[in-house]
Amino acid sequence: MTHIVAPVPARALLSTPSDREVRMERIFNAKRERVWKAITEPDLIAQWWGRGNRLVIERYEFERGGHWRYVEHSDHGDHGFEGRYREIVPFERIVSSFEWDGMPAHVAIQTMTLEQLADGRTKLVSTSIFHTVAERDGMMHSGMEGGANESYEALDRVLAALS
Amino acid sequence: MVQHAEQLDGAFAALSDQTRRGILERLGRGEASITDLASKFEMSLTGIKKHVSILEDAGLLTTEKVGRVRSCKLGPRRLESESAWISAYQQMLAEQFDHLEAFLERTKGNE
Repeated sequence: MTHIVAPVPARALLSTPSDREVRMERIFNAKRERVWKAITEPDLIAQWWGRGNRLVIERYEFERGGHWRYVEHSDHGDHGFEGRYREIVPFERIVSSFEWDGMPAHVAIQTMTLEQLADGRTKLVSTSIFHTVAERDGMMHSGMEGGANESYEALDRVLAALS
Repeated sequence: MVQHAEQLDGAFAALSDQTRRGILERLGRGEASITDLASKFEMSLTGIKKHVSILEDAGLLTTEKVGRVRSCKLGPRRLESESAWISAYQQMLAEQFDHLEAFLERTKGNE
């Protein structure tokens, strides 16, 4: 991703980096190969990803650039989630975009890494970074127009330099 | 999570309910009337109004009366709604991992 507003520290637009990062770590009582299978084979994904709700895997192109789309069906409605794979390192790492139909174009990038532990268990670390223009729009509403204006000015300078 | 929820005041509570997440998801695709929402979620008008008013109080949704129809659309609190979504996402991930753990446990002998 190209950071067009690089002259302005991106952090200034956000309250704290942790507000847009979700990190979760879990140790599973299973070998890495088995965890890898559970998170990459559609038949197996369907058995846990929906958190007890019926999951329909509408698209599953497990390759770099491939598109995935899952829809959770529950009594209270359907929830669609989708993304594309940015990087796949077998048994080690999956980087993918993540989007929910309810927040269109509020894209997170999720990185999942697996680490085989000496005791036969596996550590899964999931880090998701939410990176969206809505955060900048939101600052306008919360009275921090200054920061947003600075970034628009920086964008103006970049656009001026390009023209 | 508790700290987070406090920071987000009503927004997170509003999003903790599956129907309310569904309503926002529906409105992400365009405006809808109370009647549309009630029929989509197979709820009474009173029931759906309750959810709509919780979302409205949290600023995640606005309503406008056009003639006899009350129309709903996504609200102005974009930052807050996004923060709420990030929290809801965190909760969803935790639940998924719980289910993954349970799945790995129950398929243990199948290696």
